[in-house]
Amino acid sequence: MIAALSEWRDRVLGRGDAACTVPVLDGALKPTQVLEAAAPVHLAEAARDLVSDGHRLWLADGPSVIELAPQHDGEVQARELLRCDAPVTALCALPDAQGGGLAVAVGGRELRLVGGRQGGRAWKEADGRPFVAVNAIAASADGLIVSDGSAENGPDDWQRDLMTLGRSGRVVRLDPATGKAQVLAEHLHHAFGVAAHGSAVWVSESWRHRVVALGAGDRPSPVLDHLPGYPSRLTPAARGGWWLTVFACRTQLVEFVLREPAFRSRMIATMPPELWIAPQLRPAQSFLEPLQSGGVKQMGVLKPWAPPRSYGLVIRLDAAGRPTGSLHSRVGGRHHGIVAAVECADALYVLSRGAGCVLRLELAGLEIE
Amino acid sequence: MNAHVVPRPTASAMGTAAPNGTEVLRLEGATVLYGGTPAVDAVNFSLWRGEVHALLGENGAGKSTLTKVMAGVVRLSEGRLFLNGTKVQPTSPREALALGIAMVFQETSLVPTMTVAQNLFLGQEAMYNRPRGINIAAQQFLQSLNFHVDPGTTVAMLGAAKRQMVEIARAVLHKARVLIFDEPTATLTPEEKGHFFALVAQLKARGVSIIFISHALEEALAIADRITVLRDARHVLTAPARELDRAALVKAMVGRDLSQSFHGRRKALARPAGARVLSVQNLRMGAAVRNTSFSVFAGQVTGVFGLVGAGRTETFKVVAGLLKRDFMHGGEVLLRGRPVRYRVPAQAVRDGIAYVTEDRKIEGFFETMSIAGNIHIGLLAKLRGRRPFVNRGEQRDVGALWVKQLGIKAVTAEARVIELSGGNQQKVVIAKSLVQAPELIIFDEPTRGVDVGAIAEIHQLINRLADEGKAVVMISSYLPEVLALSDRVLVARQGKVVEEFSAQEASEEKIMFAAIH
Repeated sequence: MIAALSEWRDRVLGRGDAACTVPVLDGALKPTQVLEAAAPVHLAEAARDLVSDGHRLWLADGPSVIELAPQHDGEVQARELLRCDAPVTALCALPDAQGGGLAVAVGGRELRLVGGRQGGRAWKEADGRPFVAVNAIAASADGLIVSDGSAENGPDDWQRDLMTLGRSGRVVRLDPATGKAQVLAEHLHHAFGVAAHGSAVWVSESWRHRVVALGAGDRPSPVLDHLPGYPSRLTPAARGGWWLTVFACRTQLVEFVLREPAFRSRMIATMPPELWIAPQLRPAQSFLEPLQSGGVKQMGVLKPWAPPRSYGLVIRLDAAGRPTGSLHSRVGGRHHGIVAAVECADALYVLSRGAGCVLRLELAGLEIE
Repeated sequence: MNAHVVPRPTASAMGTAAPNGTEVLRLEGATVLYGGTPAVDAVNFSLWRGEVHALLGENGAGKSTLTKVMAGVVRLSEGRLFLNGTKVQPTSPREALALGIAMVFQETSLVPTMTVAQNLFLGQEAMYNRPRGINIAAQQFLQSLNFHVDPGTTVAMLGAAKRQMVEIARAVLHKARVLIFDEPTATLTPEEKGHFFALVAQLKARGVSIIFISHALEEALAIADRITVLRDARHVLTAPARELDRAALVKAMVGRDLSQSFHGRRKALARPAGARVLSVQNLRMGAAVRNTSFSVFAGQVTGVFGLVGAGRTETFKVVAGLLKRDFMHGGEVLLRGRPVRYRVPAQAVRDGIAYVTEDRKIEGFFETMSIAGNIHIGLLAKLRGRRPFVNRGEQRDVGALWVKQLGIKAVTAEARVIELSGGNQQKVVIAKSLVQAPELIIFDEPTRGVDVGAIAEIHQLINRLADEGKAVVMISSYLPEVLALSDRVLVARQGKVVEEFSAQEASEEKIMFAAIH
């Protein structure tokens, strides 16, 4: 009763969970134009994931898996490795200790091992529940860790999942040797990105704007929270720590819409998704797009702490998960909707779904540790 | 780094600097004793007609006492005062004003419950005063001085800068021939300072002689014809301003070279950010704070710059529980990731937030209480539960400890705060906050009205706190200070933080541009 009254009071006064506030991009997250200035090395309109084994890159582009071989001049040589019957939504290069080869999520609903000792093994469900939106795969010492974003909405329906306040994501551990599947956590607010960190597993919980650690039997504990955007994949950095991609930034307008169920249900029912007041992966294309209230022009520049619906952001985390630097493509830029950042040789390769391309940044030139 | 950002009057704007040599006022062997201790010791001083004469020195050097002698507030113990060659001894400010000497005090002497117009004409009341007539006359007079203050506003409603303007206007209104300004620009914005310097030039052109006390050495060098420096109640030097520079003045004032301790910190030494201690999200408070967002990190000094009215103080007073954000949709304040909303400042103190006020005389301490008593109050605010009695032993120990740690210059920790110089009073205010062992310390104008020696010590203290891993916020209107101390600089304008600079990026030009545009 008291909780209900508190919730009602917060809704009326715009406080607590009902406060339409957004963390600011400052400190280590201070906007730059580094990402926007990065050179595209490969165009891929339907790309969804990018992985590396330190020497080569693999790109999930539509139903194809493309191998990208970095050249000495900074360019990459592309070669189609395999083609599936549905879009590939996530990839993982398996270490030799686990038999080598690739783990491929097809259509978000099936996970297959391709090549290597366990090649041919596949999973369509875990713990009796089918996969629906597999969006990230990571290798750990005792198998594969998979994030399944939602039980109701597929990988292309992530906006709907956000607008319906989806909390049916889960993280599953798969054993390539035995085929066993174990659910590590469920009821997550859109799990999108996993990484093994010692005995724990780190998971990006996009709709709660945080990265959590899953330990043995524990409740998820926040590693990094109050992020100004929606986090996605995590990949290790060679010099320690992590690269965390953020595929869109939060705005007060979207936060407000998320607190208005009647408006949202009417919007979902009557408007095409591309015109919803929701985050986007790519900058505005149509004059019909709703006003982007977050854009504030100051000193002749659209200020980045009020980002519009699409944004490009990669965050460098230290080993403890604390931000130490960031790469941005700001308001008015093109390299938005970043969903993967991986190190390969001496460069960082970043996948921008907004621009449909892979970007290359020299690690030595990045002024972040 | 020595360049000051306030508008500087050009030589032509100030008129020809050379006074005509006609002596208006002279002090010979002026000595003032307080309980046998000389506050001013055998000082000779002269003021020429149409001259701007800067009087400099550390807090406690005797500047204010010397000018108070001229203004009839304090009597000479020994020595003589001559006005236009005639020996005088004004016994009250009213008597001094009748002689043509007016003083604009550092602590404004306005009546807070009266309007601006009433304050201006205070002491000139007729049998019947028509309020509308007074307001119109006040309006005309204030406009003639380019001061934008509503004459019908109650003084209590005015900010420090506007109060200072009214104070100056009142002195000018009384047609004084000798005007004494005690720290007149400390609370003015750069634009207001420009008006003030223009006003000084006008007065000088009319033959008014001006004594100008300031801690802003660059201002004194720019505005004054001659400069007199006092140290430890004694006269050190009097010389034409054009023959002096900042380093020479500092050396004369403190007797040692402080250039390394003040602006000596190199930008390459900027500290990396630690954990995010404070996150302010879309904070609103009336018209003063408008949807502002920023973060503060541990182990860094976060400098906050902005012009008067930028909402800096109000924002951080909300953080510290001194003011309340908007009742509805007022935004969020997160301390170490936890939303907080304080009803009273004590809650913020217990959460490890300390706010060192910009207005120490009103909000910083109880002036008639001892140093130890004031510091102990800071400790009591941190403690939970009620204490029926004050533990005198604890109070004495805490006082002695912090007097030693911060180098507060007092005979004993039992000395009353009112007896201390501005710099030492500021150290008491800081000690009162540090005794609470805070994690987030907000310094609001920490060196306003503080002498150069104490400034260096306070700067060292701020650096030390950041080195110890505390999250330090320093609100300052003095750009060299912001640049010298800050690891990152936030710039506020019209109620919100509009720009952030790293120590490497920050420059006076960039910061001022962001603060204005």
